[in-house]
Amino acid sequence: MKKEIGIVAFKCKKCGKLHYPFHDRCLKCKGREFDPVKPQGNVKLLTFTRIYNLPWGFDQRYLTIGVVEFENGVRAMGQIKADEKDDLKIGMAMIPSWGPVRVQYGENVYGLELEPVK
Amino acid sequence: MRDVAVIGVGMIPFGRRDEDSLMEMLAYASLKALDDAGLGDKSVDAVYVGNMGSGMLQHQSAIASSLVDRLSLLPAPADTVENGPASGGSAVKNGLLAVASGYYDTVLVVGGEKMREVTGWRATDFVATMTHPLAEYVYGITLPGMAGMFTRLYMEKYGVTREHLVAVSIKNQEMGGRNPYAHVEMAITKEGIFDDPAAVVNNPVIADPLHLYDACPVSDGAAALILFPLEKIKNPVKPPVVIAGFGQATDTHTLQEREDPTDLKAVTLAAQQALEMAKLKPSDIHVAELHDAFTILEIAESEHIGFFKKGEGGKAALAGKTAFGGTIPINLSGGLKARGHPVGATGVAQVVDIVFQLRHELPKDRQVKNAQNGLTVNFGGFGNNVLSFVLRRVQQ
Repeated sequence: MKKEIGIVAFKCKKCGKLHYPFHDRCLKCKGREFDPVKPQGNVKLLTFTRIYNLPWGFDQRYLTIGVVEFENGVRAMGQIKADEKDDLKIGMAMIPSWGPVRVQYGENVYGLELEPVK
Repeated sequence: MRDVAVIGVGMIPFGRRDEDSLMEMLAYASLKALDDAGLGDKSVDAVYVGNMGSGMLQHQSAIASSLVDRLSLLPAPADTVENGPASGGSAVKNGLLAVASGYYDTVLVVGGEKMREVTGWRATDFVATMTHPLAEYVYGITLPGMAGMFTRLYMEKYGVTREHLVAVSIKNQEMGGRNPYAHVEMAITKEGIFDDPAAVVNNPVIADPLHLYDACPVSDGAAALILFPLEKIKNPVKPPVVIAGFGQATDTHTLQEREDPTDLKAVTLAAQQALEMAKLKPSDIHVAELHDAFTILEIAESEHIGFFKKGEGGKAALAGKTAFGGTIPINLSGGLKARGHPVGATGVAQVVDIVFQLRHELPKDRQVKNAQNGLTVNFGGFGNNVLSFVLRRVQQ
């Protein structure tokens, strides 16, 4: 079954600024009350990289990581499911999903996964 | 506030130092600084130690307490200062404020890191722990990865090319070859890392669009300095150099929350504060040590400080304006790219290198003629905690 994307952004009740990740005070007006906002709508790739020198915990040849913006303004980092021949470009549309992005202490850790729209 | 002079400096060669422990490296650099200041058998009023990862890499904490004991500086107050790759700069700041305020007179500042004790896999993870644990680290992002994403945006917005990045690599490795303290002393050519088909093998991608020679090495090393009030210096042995200005600023933890992720606001603010305090303009600086953990950062920082307009830094590097003999020589030590980047040492080493320049004591192939003012930028996190210092040679 497809898992719901587990990201929650926070919209300041006072000035409307959107935050992800969480801050105790609004970065714009220092307000302390927020409405939770789920990322929604089309997803656009803002930037990306393919890393070949991986950190401890990743036993694979490379990892592609990008930052995307959802249509409702939420920005988040995620792992891109693409191989080396895929021609990624800034601004391209991506399909988001929620899946295992890392194993820590023997357990899967879930996060944002992205796949280029073909 | 009192004017604060750097009266002693010390550094040990950076590189892979399997024979030395972290504590030995900190002690060697400190002893050199004490000797340089003529305080070989004297005590100091306080000690600040810049270090990012002894707890993780050496499984040793409270290293400042250990160092004062080893150096027989007891009962001097001693603190370890941790601020990621800007730990050294933050240690210098703490020492500077302590002397400027009049609370202490003689302060030892030392920064060091021993990163080669662990595998590259572990060292990469150690550095990545400064990213946001839930929004970044979990995905396997690394600092080269952050720099890769930044480079792609910077290329798109400002037209920086790989040729510009290569120019920085070649310049800094050339200067590393002239610096006896540098980790990387191997000169490289454009042909070898860019033009020739073999460059694909010599200079592979590490974090697209960045290649191997765009990144600093993982290093061991330490650097130290002695701070003292200028007004109390009598008969100086070496030309006094003062820290004429400093600045520090922070930015969002994650790159994604910056309205324009190519705008390194903390660099601009820190450098502006340092220059204003010193009553100088960017054009008054004769030599600079910038935080080129990746070649793109030297270019971007040179623009954010105001040495060049946005979009001109890469072209300036390619035209030789930032090289030895150029209009604003940058990283004549080889920078992080070639001198190396033992993270806790870097901010201190940058100040030490500028002191060498302003004392006019370097060999001819590295000394900027008649240099009077120098500037440093020590870049913590991915630009989320940045320090800048302006140093000035005191006219006698």
